[in-house]
Amino acid sequence: MNITQMNRALGALREKYSVVRTGAILPGGVLETEAGKVTLLPWRVERRFVELRNIASNGTLEGISTLRFASITAGGELEAQLVREFDLAAWITGKPVEHVFAAIAPGGCAANVIAALEGGVKASIECSNKLPEGADVIDRHEIIAARGVASDRCVDTQVPQSSLYLYAEGGERRYTDVDFELFGFSGEEIVLVRAAFAVLSNPELGAAWNAAAGNAKKCARAVFESGRDGKVGEF
Amino acid sequence: MKPLKIAMMSLTHGHTRKYYQTLRDNPKLDWVAVCAEEKAAREVYALYQTGVPCYDSAEAMFAAHPDIEAVVLASANSKHMEQVRFCAERGIHILSMKIPTFDMAEYDEMIALCDRAGIVCQVELEMHYNPVVRRLKELIAAGSLGRILSIQATNITLSPVWAFPWQGVPESSYGRRVPLRSGDARFRGGALCDHPHVFDLVRHLTGSDFESVYAEVAPNLRKELEVEDMLLVNGRLKDGTAFLFDPSWSRMEERLKVPGPGWEVYPKRMEVNLTITGEKGVLVGDCFGPNVYHNGAPNDRYTVQYTYFDEWIGLIDEFVGCIRNKRTPLIDLRRHRRTIEVMNACYESIRTGRPESVN
Repeated sequence: MNITQMNRALGALREKYSVVRTGAILPGGVLETEAGKVTLLPWRVERRFVELRNIASNGTLEGISTLRFASITAGGELEAQLVREFDLAAWITGKPVEHVFAAIAPGGCAANVIAALEGGVKASIECSNKLPEGADVIDRHEIIAARGVASDRCVDTQVPQSSLYLYAEGGERRYTDVDFELFGFSGEEIVLVRAAFAVLSNPELGAAWNAAAGNAKKCARAVFESGRDGKVGEF
Repeated sequence: MKPLKIAMMSLTHGHTRKYYQTLRDNPKLDWVAVCAEEKAAREVYALYQTGVPCYDSAEAMFAAHPDIEAVVLASANSKHMEQVRFCAERGIHILSMKIPTFDMAEYDEMIALCDRAGIVCQVELEMHYNPVVRRLKELIAAGSLGRILSIQATNITLSPVWAFPWQGVPESSYGRRVPLRSGDARFRGGALCDHPHVFDLVRHLTGSDFESVYAEVAPNLRKELEVEDMLLVNGRLKDGTAFLFDPSWSRMEERLKVPGPGWEVYPKRMEVNLTITGEKGVLVGDCFGPNVYHNGAPNDRYTVQYTYFDEWIGLIDEFVGCIRNKRTPLIDLRRHRRTIEVMNACYESIRTGRPESVN
């Protein structure tokens, strides 16, 4: 991840869209602003999640019952994955998490979580980090409602699809480019720049995101406690 | 840079609504007015509540806003010639829809008018500002496939005719009433006229040009249309590349007057997919995917909810940059002329039943 280039791109967006507030992306997904540090929630600017949230809130789905979220990575901290999934669950539904119960795999490489959100909505959250090194993240976010199901994965597929597949010497290579203005950055870099730009464009987001990050972190920690103690973790 | 004072004319083109957000959000623009001659277009425009005033004629709009510098000609193809004349006389820069005209004499008159007026006339071929296309171009240019041997491309959509009726009227879409071929009750002006992108993209990606085309129309899916809705095109480029295109309206639609949720019957209402075979490998691409999916309201049908439709941002950036910095757009009238010529050759091939040389 090239933080210098990302900050340069952030500056270009600020200039293009006449955003006067300044800030710098720091390693670890934090934005430093004149008003203080903001924990960036980059998934909240990722298009698929923005659309899923729209679908959940604009009447396309009615009577949300259950979320089925999954995230499998190649290494990395399980806690960071859980933070993302809990924040997505609360943000997409607009409902805070009330309690969790978790089964943690031996060695701590996987967490299988059932969570209850306000209003009775339930969520299953599966996280693990045992993909081989270099493998792309496999994830899935499905919202099941009395009227309709929405998902970021197409029916009859189990793994993420890409825009481009190149089959040539050296095997298969995949590309998914979703941002013309930030073309050339990786998907991970793009959402961090977009998240930082969102906070600079709307400074009220800073406090809201810090609070949401704190809530999601509490949920993630409760997962480990529940896994260890065999008890329901309540908030 | 001083914001460009921009307006829209007619508001009857299918892409009209796609400009609204970009014209509002881009600080390089000052979107001052729109005009629409048709009452129905004004009524649909009012639904979007843009806050930008709408006039019932171009004359009224320019009288109220004499400082307009550029316009988006969001009109039926048959209106373009008179609107280009109108703008050229006033020195107004033009963003043209994807088909300026199919009449090559008119086309050359447009070029001459714009040259004389010293105005920018950019043609709206938004796929150039699609990030997947950009990646394709880079991979090909970097030699990932070696020499290109074959390209298949789709530009398939639902039919917009129920919301934009002129697209089903030969005189409005093609410019005049020309039978497809002897013994066929249909006329030029349907799906082919709606889908220049694949013809343009192949030139863009390969750097080559068309040598010959062969086209066939299939039976219409929508029997009440008097223009073609299903066709296939193949042929050869000058560098030997073989190609096959599907520019059909092969995805069925609900017959909505105003596009909105539930428009599609087939889950994905629009796709531009390519398969490119080279000496060293194969590229398979979907310029509008992956997305998210649902089967909720309004029709409880499985539906692709697009996550990317930002081509208009890059397109407008280029348009403003060309005007302010006196540059020539990547797709101007001159560059696009060849694509229109080739599309006409497709109609000619349908008429003759033979491949047509387009040297």
